[in-house]
Amino acid sequence: MPTPSITISRPQTGTGNSGLSSSSEAASLARKYPVIDAIRSGRAHDSAVHEAMQGLDPVLDVAGFRLWYGKAQALHNVSLSVPRGKVTALIGPSGCGKSTLIRSVNRLNDLIDGVRVEGEMSLAGESVYGASVDVIDLRKRVGMVFQKPNPFPMTIFENVVYRLRIDGERRRSFLADACERALRSAALWDEVKDRLKDSALGLSGGQQQRLCIARAVVADPELLLLDEPCSALDPVATLRIEELIHEISNRYSVLIVTHNMQQAARVSDYTAFMYLGRLVEYGPTSALFQTPRLLETEDYVSGRFG
Amino acid sequence: MATASRTIRERITRATSAAMFGVCVGFSLLIVVLLVMVLVYLFTRGIDTVSIGLLTQLPTGDQNEPGGMLNGIVGTIVLIGLASAVGVPIGVLVGIYLSEYSNDRFLPGPVRFICDVLAGVPSIVVGILGYELIVVPLGGFSGWAGAGALAFIMIPIVARTSEEMLRLVPRSFREGSLALGATKSQTIFRVVLPSATGSIVTGTLLAVARIAGETAPLLFTAGYSRFLTTNPSEPFPSLTIQIYQAAQSPFPAQQRMAWAGMLVLIVLFLILSISIRLVAQRSVRVAT
Amino acid sequence: MTALPSGTSSPRIKRPARRAWGDALLAWSARGAAACVVVLLGLLLFVLIRAALPAMQTYGVGFLTQTEWRVNSLDAPIRDAAGKLTFDEDGEMLTRVSPPVYGAAPTIYGTFASALIALAVAVPLSLGAALFLVRIAPRWRLATAVGFLIEFLAAIPSLAFGVWGVFVLVPFMRDVIGPAAKGTLGQISLLGWQPFDWLFFRTTIIDGVGVRGEIAINGWNMLTGGLILAIMILPIITSIARDVLRSVPRSQIEASLALGATWWQSSVLMLRYARSGLFGAVMLGMARAAGETMAVTMVIGNANQISASVFEPAQTMASLLATEFGEAGAEQRSALLFVALILLVMSLLINIIARYLVVGSAVKGSAGQ
Repeated sequence: MPTPSITISRPQTGTGNSGLSSSSEAASLARKYPVIDAIRSGRAHDSAVHEAMQGLDPVLDVAGFRLWYGKAQALHNVSLSVPRGKVTALIGPSGCGKSTLIRSVNRLNDLIDGVRVEGEMSLAGESVYGASVDVIDLRKRVGMVFQKPNPFPMTIFENVVYRLRIDGERRRSFLADACERALRSAALWDEVKDRLKDSALGLSGGQQQRLCIARAVVADPELLLLDEPCSALDPVATLRIEELIHEISNRYSVLIVTHNMQQAARVSDYTAFMYLGRLVEYGPTSALFQTPRLLETEDYVSGRFG
Repeated sequence: MATASRTIRERITRATSAAMFGVCVGFSLLIVVLLVMVLVYLFTRGIDTVSIGLLTQLPTGDQNEPGGMLNGIVGTIVLIGLASAVGVPIGVLVGIYLSEYSNDRFLPGPVRFICDVLAGVPSIVVGILGYELIVVPLGGFSGWAGAGALAFIMIPIVARTSEEMLRLVPRSFREGSLALGATKSQTIFRVVLPSATGSIVTGTLLAVARIAGETAPLLFTAGYSRFLTTNPSEPFPSLTIQIYQAAQSPFPAQQRMAWAGMLVLIVLFLILSISIRLVAQRSVRVAT
Repeated sequence: MTALPSGTSSPRIKRPARRAWGDALLAWSARGAAACVVVLLGLLLFVLIRAALPAMQTYGVGFLTQTEWRVNSLDAPIRDAAGKLTFDEDGEMLTRVSPPVYGAAPTIYGTFASALIALAVAVPLSLGAALFLVRIAPRWRLATAVGFLIEFLAAIPSLAFGVWGVFVLVPFMRDVIGPAAKGTLGQISLLGWQPFDWLFFRTTIIDGVGVRGEIAINGWNMLTGGLILAIMILPIITSIARDVLRSVPRSQIEASLALGATWWQSSVLMLRYARSGLFGAVMLGMARAAGETMAVTMVIGNANQISASVFEPAQTMASLLATEFGEAGAEQRSALLFVALILLVMSLLINIIARYLVVGSAVKGSAGQ
C-alpha cells in the first residue's frame, strides 16, 4: 500500500534579502519553504515520507487523522506509522500538534470538552476510536509519561504497582517481582531498592520521572508514549533518561515528543517533523537530520527557523 | 479487547465504578431533593397565612387571632442597621489593615488568626457574652445588646471578606499610584478601595443576610417585645425571635404565623442571595 | 531661587503635613480596628471565665464527668441500711435536702453524639456530592446550578430548619421512623437475644429495683437532633470538599487514567490525594454541628441525660444554654457559663485544626500544579 507520494521540492537556496520590503521578504520565504507556505495558506500539501518507512512492522497506524478543539482544527490529515520495537520522535515548533497527537493515542483528549476527531488510528491492528472500543482497556495497553513528573502521593512501591492494583492483583510476591523488574527497566532500582516504602514525593525530579516511567512499563504496554519527558528536568537527569530510553527501546516501542532536536537525534530511530498540525516529513532519524528531503526540515533541525 | 476475555475481577471493578458513579449522582440528587422538600414545605404551609396584614399589623396578644409581624420585621431591620453601622466600618478597616498593612509591627498575623477564631465562636455564646457585658450592667434586655451581639458576629466575616477582596486588587494599581506621588492613604481610598468596592459590598451583604437570620444571639440580649418600637434601650423585637416563639406555641394560629413568618424570611433570603450572586458575577467580571 | 514656570505651585511646604495627617489617620484607624478585634476576643474570654469561675471553683475538672444536672434542690427520703424509709419520733418521714448539682457530662455527650450522628449521615452524602460537582456535573453542565443550590442551602437560617424539624421531622420520626425501626431492628432475635433491645427499652432503678420500660418514641430525641444537624452541615462540607477536590492537580488524574483506572479508581486517588483537606472539611462541619443551637434545641427533647438509645431525648451544650439560661439563678448561671466556656474551647479547637488542614491542602494542591 503506497504511502502518500514523495514530493521532491528543492527550491533555490535563499540568499540574503537585505534591503527588500517585507512583502517581497514574505514572498521569497514562501518560495523558499513551499510546504510551509502551503500549510500556512491552507493549501493541500504532501508530507515527505521517506521510502525507508515502507514495509516496517507498525505498532501504531495513523491514517488521515483530524482533530478539532471546538471550532479550531488542531490536526490536519496526519498519516504515519510508528514502527514496532523502535523509538520514534515527534518534533516541531510549539503548537505543531505533537502533544495533541500523542494524547490522542490513549484518548486522553477525550477529557477535554468539545474535542472531535475524524480519521483512523489503530494500535497493533485494533482501532482506537472505533465505536466498540473500551477506553480503559485501550489505556492499559499504552503507557504514558508526562512532561512534569506526577507521582502519586504514595510510597514508591505503591506508585509502581498501581497499574497492577487497579487490575485487582494482590499477590505480594507477584507485585514485588513486577516492581523490581519495572524499576530496573527504569534504571531506578539500585537507588530506591532499600526505601520502597518511602514516599515517592521525596525523590528528586529526575528520580520521580524515572519512577513514572517504571509505573508506565510495569504491565508491559504495547506502546510507551513520552510527552516531553525531560523538559522539566536538569541536564544531568535529562541525560540519564535519554540513556534509559535507549535501553528501554529493546523491550518496548516508544513514541516520544520532544521540542529538543538534539535529543531527538540522540535518542530516536525514526523522526517525524510536524508543523501547524500537519506532518511535514517523516523518516529514519539519520536520514531526516543529515539528508532531509525538504529545505524546511533542514532549516528547522539546524535551528534556522522555528 | 473482546469482552468475553474479561475476568470476573475486571467485571467487578467496572461494576463498582459504575455503581459508585450512580451513588454520587444519587447523593447529589438526594441533597437537592432535601432542600427542595424543606423549601416547598415552608412555602406551602406559610402561603395560606401570608397576607399584607401579616406584614403590616402588630401582634394582638390574642392567641387565636395573632395579628401580624410588623414589629418583628421592623425590629430586625433596626437591629441589622445598628449592627452594620458598627460592624461594617470596623470590619472593613480590619480588612484594610490585614491587606494593606501586612508588614505592620503590630503583627497582622495574629490579628488574622484571631479573626478566624472569632468567626468560629458559637452564636449562642456570643449571645451570652452580650448578656454578661451589656444586659447585666444596663439591667435589662435591650436593642443595643442585640445589635452588639450581631456586630460581634459580623466583624470577623466582613474583615476576612474585605481582606480577600482587597488582596485581589493587582499590585500594579498600588505601585502606579505611589509612583505618581500619592500617599498610602490616598492610594487606598482613591485606587484600591474603589476597585474592590463591588466585591466588598457583596461580602458585606452576605454578612448582613447571615445576621438577619440569627436567633440564638438575640435570645438573651434583645429579648423580645410585642410592641413596635425603635428605641433600642428597651427589650427589642426581631423577626427570628418572633418566629421562634410562635413556633413553640401550642396554639395552631400562632403556629401558622410561624410558618408564614418563616416563608417571608426565606423569600427575602432567596431574593438577597440571588441578587448578591448576580451583582457578584458582574463585579468579578469587571475586576478581572 | 530660580523662578518656577508659571502655573506650578511650590508643593514642598504644604504637602508633608497633609501627607502625614491622612496616612497617620488611616493607619491608626486601621490599627484601632484591629485592636478592637483583639479586645473582643479578650473580652470574650475574660467575661466567660470570670462568670464561670464560681462553678469552676466548686466543681473543678470533675464538672466534665459529673453526670447529674439538677437545678432544684432535692428533698430525698433518708433510707436505712436495709433500704427502708426512716421516720422521726413524730412519724414524719426523714428527708435530706440535696442542693442542686451541676455536671456537664450529659451535654458534652449530647453534643458529641449528635455531631457524630450528623457526620455519619452527612459525610458520605457530602463527599459523593462533591465528587459529583467536580467530576460529573461539569460534563452535564449542571455544575453551577447544583453548586448554587447547595450554597443556598448553606445560607438558610437554622431557625428555618428548626421550624421544619418541629413540624415535619418530629412527626416523621414519631410516626414513621420509630415504628419502622421497632418493626425491623426491634424484631431481630438471635436465639432469644435481641441485639437492638437497648434501642427500644430502658431500665430505670426505682427503689433499688430495676424496672424495664419501653421507650416511647415521641419524635423529640437525639436521632432527630442528629438528622437535622446532618441536613445543616451537608452544604458546608460539600462546598469545602468541592473546593479541595478541585485543587487536586489535573496531572494526577491524568496519570491514573493513563494507567487505565476506572472512574471510581481515579476518584479514590483524588480523595486520597486531598485527604487532609477533606478531613478539614469534615471537621468544619463538625464545628458547625457542635455550635448549632436553634434547630437542635427545637427537636432534641431537652432532657439532660445520657442514655444508650438514640430514641431518647437528649441535650447538647448549645441547647442547654438556649433553654436554661433565661431563667437561671446565680449558681445555675455560673454552671451554665462553665458549659459555655467548654463549648467555646471545643469549637475553637476544632475550627483551628480544621482550618489548618484545609489551608494546608490548598497549598499542597497549588504547589503540585
